[in-house]
Amino acid sequence: MSELSASWYLAVSAALFAIGFTGLLVRRNPLIMFMCIELMLNAVNVAFVAFGAGLNDVGGQVAVFFVLVVAATEVVIGLALVVALSRFKTGATADDVSLLKG
Amino acid sequence: MMLPMMMVVWRLTPTDGSRLMVQIVFVVAAVMAVVGALGVIGSRNPVHAALFLLQTLFGVALLFLLQEAHFLAAVQFIVYAGAIAILFLFVIMLLGVDKTEDLEVEPIAHQRFLAPVLGVALASMLFSVFLVSSDILGGSPQFDSERTLDSGITDIERLGRVLFSDHAFAVEITAALLTIAVVGAVALTRSNKSKVKMTSDE
Amino acid sequence: MIDLLAFARPPIDWHAAAPELTLLACGALLTLVDIVWLERAKAVSATLASFSLLAAMVPVVTLAVDGTDRAMFGGAYTVDDFSLVMKAVFLLTAYVVVLLSTDYIAKGDFWESEYYQMLLSAVLGMLVMTSARDLVTIFIALELLSIPAYLMATWHKVDLRSNEAGLKYYLMGVFASAVLLYGMSLLYGVSGSTMLSDINATISNSQAEGLLAVVVLGLIFVVVGFGFKVSAFPFHMWAPDAYEGAPTPVTAFLSVASKAAGFVALLSLVFVGFWDRSDVYQPLLWLLSAASMTGGNLMALRQTNAVRMLAYSGVAQAGYMLAPLAVAGESSATADDALSSVVTYLAIYAAMNLGAFAVIIAVARRTSSAEIDSYKGLFRYAPVLTVAMTVFLMALAGIPPFGGWFAKFEIVLALLSPGTAWGVVLGGVVGLNSVIALYYYARIASYMWVEAPPDNVQSSSPIKVPASVSAALILTGLVTLAFGIVPQWVGHFTDVSLL
Repeated sequence: MSELSASWYLAVSAALFAIGFTGLLVRRNPLIMFMCIELMLNAVNVAFVAFGAGLNDVGGQVAVFFVLVVAATEVVIGLALVVALSRFKTGATADDVSLLKG
Repeated sequence: MMLPMMMVVWRLTPTDGSRLMVQIVFVVAAVMAVVGALGVIGSRNPVHAALFLLQTLFGVALLFLLQEAHFLAAVQFIVYAGAIAILFLFVIMLLGVDKTEDLEVEPIAHQRFLAPVLGVALASMLFSVFLVSSDILGGSPQFDSERTLDSGITDIERLGRVLFSDHAFAVEITAALLTIAVVGAVALTRSNKSKVKMTSDE
Repeated sequence: MIDLLAFARPPIDWHAAAPELTLLACGALLTLVDIVWLERAKAVSATLASFSLLAAMVPVVTLAVDGTDRAMFGGAYTVDDFSLVMKAVFLLTAYVVVLLSTDYIAKGDFWESEYYQMLLSAVLGMLVMTSARDLVTIFIALELLSIPAYLMATWHKVDLRSNEAGLKYYLMGVFASAVLLYGMSLLYGVSGSTMLSDINATISNSQAEGLLAVVVLGLIFVVVGFGFKVSAFPFHMWAPDAYEGAPTPVTAFLSVASKAAGFVALLSLVFVGFWDRSDVYQPLLWLLSAASMTGGNLMALRQTNAVRMLAYSGVAQAGYMLAPLAVAGESSATADDALSSVVTYLAIYAAMNLGAFAVIIAVARRTSSAEIDSYKGLFRYAPVLTVAMTVFLMALAGIPPFGGWFAKFEIVLALLSPGTAWGVVLGGVVGLNSVIALYYYARIASYMWVEAPPDNVQSSSPIKVPASVSAALILTGLVTLAFGIVPQWVGHFTDVSLL
């Protein structure tokens, strides 16, 4: 199918996933943490499409379709949570989320 | 820069040859995606992070195009760039949190130091796993002709056929998922209950 | 080349899909009633929600009476004994949660009708999960049950702690689903299919040997993703905070139904999808199980809040339930034992944990607190609640004749049946942990029976328990006692097989 073997795309996917994972640990701003989640989901999408192309199967693209739908709903919910939390204080970071002990 | 490059990819992929061109576009797209991702986790200002995220999303869409997932590339633009990234920017502006974050505070001891190490370890593990198995990866043939990518029907139709046959139940369930997300998000962000009570009594 | 116009609708077995469709229709009705009647809808929403759950129970019963296994969409959606039993458990659990919520949600500052819509859609996700036998359907079901759960944890909007609980739960949840998805993509890449049966066929054959590294990585990612959902140690960090901050009926729902849904997915993945790769998943689940039991119990010892204590005890209980999976691959007889023991444990755990939360909700009406100290002297002013709480705590600790002992007994039996060293050692870990757990359960019991009430709690009059909470207490108490005293009568309901 494609002129490049799947491994090249998988390498990009692995890099995106690892960067998103690192960002989730490093950053404290919930909005940026959501963006890191989006990076990880995009890594998943790249992997699914690459595997699908390598296998000559549409299943990977179907999975990406569902991941896209779910990513959209997750962002909507996450931003709603941030807006709800922002009523209590402005400039919320995950470190301010400290009333609970964990 | 984006649009002309995509036109080039669009024309090139179905024809044979032009292997070099595909490789060049791949490198550009990959660099775009990875640099954007690094920008997201590195920028102090959330607005910059959102714009870097947009860059990554474009890069990923290019990667989809290179693999002839045309419909997904379009959806990637429309849903991600058109809706998700804009939603991010909208909320950043709404909350007024477009101020910089102090990256120097260390919330959990050694976390700042540990996280990149973990990230690099994860990446190298994934890389090595793909390297070890690269020659066989994606080698198994598909026998169901409706699902193969070279069956001669358009990308969007193939996707539609599979979605509404093998995955029809999952598609229907996503309707409930989207509805409940909207209802929940509205209920959560509506500001004051007593205020709403008054308006609904009118 | 495919004929462009030929598209046949896939055959649909309406009877098999009836429980989900009933619930979907009732949920839509609830939404419509809410839109049309506005404030007046609040009065009927709880009733409507409980009737929806009972209505969905009807097709589950008719399917069970019919008894044939049904499959749709090439096996992606399967109705068998396992899925029917779990559907019944989920519907009854949700019914009890509605009973617990009715008074709590009506009194507090909540959006009532929307709350029940969230609850119903989460249950819908769980019903789908019991029947899902392909990665995409499992993922969608997981999201359908998680997204309302994030929202419900935040439902007490005026309380900052509820908001923080929701945000933490959400962040961990979406992170887990991203990890899970990456694992799924690796499994798809190896097998070329998202169907669990196809995955099992390909990852076990010799051609996949060169891809062993990818298979192992995919399995680890998927198990870690569900480890968050079932709050197994060390992926439990969200649970105590989310449980403490969320409204208590929601906590009851999260700690029982949401955890059980994670287990259902894990069970169908292990028994249908990874079955022949026992060399990979057995050590992984062994470690996860031993760590969860020990870590959960040790941390529960230090808690001063009853809800947080139940959260850590839930981590330990997840460890007990993971244990049989660590030996499941030895033989198909062992696998049947292991599956039945986990399903039995899930059903009993649902009853006893919901019961404990019902008491916590009832007591909090007087003390407005879930601190363990506030349970001191409960017997003086609420003897019935004290007896009920003691029953549930002893059941959780696994003391006969209350339900929990039978659950643990089945687990240990399944662990010992293959006779391998790993199984015996893990059985020993289960025994050791039961002793540790007894200490913190008994501590609350002794506070209630022996100590004097604290000064700040008004203890001269008995606590008024709302009728719906009493009904929940009776229901869960009966199930707990039935499994404990006459397990031979009720045990066969949970005797199922997936192979």
